[in-house]
Amino acid sequence: MIDAQSHLTEEERQAVADRSLPAEHLPLIEAHLRDCAVCAGDVARIRTLMTHVTEAPTPTTITPSLDELWPAIRTRIETSKVVPLSPNAIRLDGRRRARRVGSSIALAAALVIAAVALGLRARAHGSTSTAQVADTASLIAVADSAHAYEEEAQTLLNQLELRRSMLRPEAVVAIDHDLRVVDSAIAELKEAIAHDPTNPALRRLLASSYRQKVDVLKRVGNAS
Amino acid sequence: MNARVRGATEATATVNDVNDIDDVVRRAQRGDVGAFESLYRAHSPAIFALCRRMVGSDGEALDLVQDIFVRAWERLTTFRGQSSLATWLHRLGVNVVLEQLRSSKRDALRLIEGDDTTFGSRSPGGQVEARIDLDAALVQLPSGARTVFVLHDIEGYSHDEIAQMTGIAPGTARAQLWRARRTLMRLLDL
Repeated sequence: MIDAQSHLTEEERQAVADRSLPAEHLPLIEAHLRDCAVCAGDVARIRTLMTHVTEAPTPTTITPSLDELWPAIRTRIETSKVVPLSPNAIRLDGRRRARRVGSSIALAAALVIAAVALGLRARAHGSTSTAQVADTASLIAVADSAHAYEEEAQTLLNQLELRRSMLRPEAVVAIDHDLRVVDSAIAELKEAIAHDPTNPALRRLLASSYRQKVDVLKRVGNAS
Repeated sequence: MNARVRGATEATATVNDVNDIDDVVRRAQRGDVGAFESLYRAHSPAIFALCRRMVGSDGEALDLVQDIFVRAWERLTTFRGQSSLATWLHRLGVNVVLEQLRSSKRDALRLIEGDDTTFGSRSPGGQVEARIDLDAALVQLPSGARTVFVLHDIEGYSHDEIAQMTGIAPGTARAQLWRARRTLMRLLDL
């Protein structure tokens, strides 16, 4: 039993001030606050602080510096657009691929830009420069893997169509969105490859995009 | 209204004045850097305020703003619109700041163990300054207490959420919050 002499604990004062006190304790605490000026005053001071914090304006004096920060952010973003692919990327096992799906859509968006950047650069320098560095064997291997992923994606797509009516509507919307992002990347890459067919980087990006599409479709398969 | 909700409202209104926010976000998600710049300009002041209050230094806060928006760019396609972009960015920002705090051994220890030695720190003259600015007062709190105070009383996170985000026990988070409030009451002469 709390009386006017024993005072509220720190926990009780703080909790009543920020209204986190369990409802069943409230009548007793409020009764004490009516009789104890010390506790009531302290609770009022804590509430004053909370009001002060809530009403404090958001600092805006730094805004000019924030404007100056954008070019550095833009540079970091531009750098991250060209995604270096690990030589082992396409040999990831199923579980690792599944874990990477969350980031794969972001990668797909980056691939679109990378494809355009690579395509434009290739056109600017002429296709002979890329042909000089292209390794024919590697080109064939990458093209084969892209083809294999494309076939796998098509098989999975056919399975998805059969299951589509059984999926939740919001899941269908999310899947279609993800597939559109990846398909957009693939279309851009195919167009870039048409202009620069011997560019190995573009081929690798295409293979990676198909792999991401497979990942999305496998995720759907696992979830349904 | 906590800062998460207030920031979301203000930032949304700002972008709405310029363009339809959904369209800007969609363009940014498709890789439109110009659209992302619009989002940066709309949301960076609130994110800066969050960082500054959590780390207590303009320089560190600016570095963190940069990291947060680069991370936001990388993860923007995972934003599904279930919450407002401002709320999503706020949450992302809190995570980036906490990662930064955890990466510093000194600050990590403070987060876990608390740091009573500098609580109630006084001005160089030895007197508690009367009625100083809230942000100036926050700077004087130890990192762990400041983090918990900002997350709970400014950003509106619960103790359980804070415990999950910071890795400290909910009871420790409560104790840090109470001490932070007591210190601020003295510094602000309340």
